[in-house]
Amino acid sequence: MRDDDVLPPELERAVGPLREAPRPRREWLDHVVEQAAGQRLGELIGDDDWRGARSRRWSAHPAMAIAAGLLCMVAGAGGTYAVMGRARGAGRPSPDVPALQAEAVGRAPVRFTVAAPGAVNVSLVGDFNEWNPVALPMTRLGDGTTWEVEIPLAPGRYTYAFVVDGRLARDPSAPQAARDDFGAPSSVVLVRGAL
Amino acid sequence: MIRSIVVVVAIAAAGLLAPSRARAQTGVPPLPARLAPATRADIARLMDSARVAGLPVAPLADKAAEGVLKGADDARIVAAVRTLARELGDARLLLGDVHDAVLLTATASALHAGVAPPDLRRLARGRAGEPPDAHALASALVTLVDLIAKQISPVSATSAVGELLERRATDAQFTALRVEVDQDIRAGVAPDAALSKRVRSQAETLDALTPGGRPVKRPPPPPPAPR
Repeated sequence: MRDDDVLPPELERAVGPLREAPRPRREWLDHVVEQAAGQRLGELIGDDDWRGARSRRWSAHPAMAIAAGLLCMVAGAGGTYAVMGRARGAGRPSPDVPALQAEAVGRAPVRFTVAAPGAVNVSLVGDFNEWNPVALPMTRLGDGTTWEVEIPLAPGRYTYAFVVDGRLARDPSAPQAARDDFGAPSSVVLVRGAL
Repeated sequence: MIRSIVVVVAIAAAGLLAPSRARAQTGVPPLPARLAPATRADIARLMDSARVAGLPVAPLADKAAEGVLKGADDARIVAAVRTLARELGDARLLLGDVHDAVLLTATASALHAGVAPPDLRRLARGRAGEPPDAHALASALVTLVDLIAKQISPVSATSAVGELLERRATDAQFTALRVEVDQDIRAGVAPDAALSKRVRSQAETLDALTPGGRPVKRPPPPPPAPR
């Protein structure tokens, strides 16, 4: 069917309005123009140089909007922290019998520790950081020999190892990975979640 | 008022999108830049094939990154990635219509460790005809691979893990088995003997107790045969 086809009157009544392009509301056009010109930013940061004739439209509403937005962000962060806190309590590996898995909702903080007396630099490498030896440096604890790092991990199976002063070492307290393809054994951690 | 709503929605959306962006970053990791272009192309092809087959792709990129860190040459890295891709495919065939990456990689790892496919199939199906849940099976497979790495024969290790899986062993019990066997081996006990002793102990405990600490309700004994 073409636009200029002649239709029966009853059908024309139904189709006619659909042929007309929707007309944008004036205030939305103003809004788009303001956004494009960067005027909104100037108004938000309160810089008079940014203000034009349209700044008169701001009243208490923007402040309320920003406050509400910040409230949403704080509430979201609080919720995330609460979830992480629950996972932390439930899933922290025991120092005596290393836990195979850590219960998690979303991501669970998993703590990795290794005894490396005399080491100067220790880091954690694995599937979770693309085996990047500088991405996850570990911290030496007060006893001077134990190194630790805690990272949030999504549910999954991860192969990992420690880099102790440039040398790879597997985690002696964790399950060993299948025979290594590259001549240096690794360990496995299984993080529980939605299997 | 409309402006206020727009700003609120924009700020809230920014807050909601931030985690999504972070999740997106945890998808398939990029291939290491150190690899030669031809090697990257080879691995990319393997990953494409895996993707088409519905297999997880991230483990392949992870394997390449592991190879780079461990100083392997490109040919060895490609070979390892190819082997893993094949084992993931074999794992899929074994497990049937399973798309879970954890279970597939754990099964592929068991195959890599030398477990026979029929034994793995039996583990996955469950001995009593009731398949174990995915969590339990993944834990069992990780433990199985670790036992084989401790020089225990794949047949003995598979049998032992199957016994515990059948008795619905918990993660803690699998971990305890692994730690106890390790201690025995360090004390000089032969690996298979250490496993046999420790798995018997765990099985007896599981036979006597449910995970909740209550005695297991055993089925009534069969009626005496007529004389």
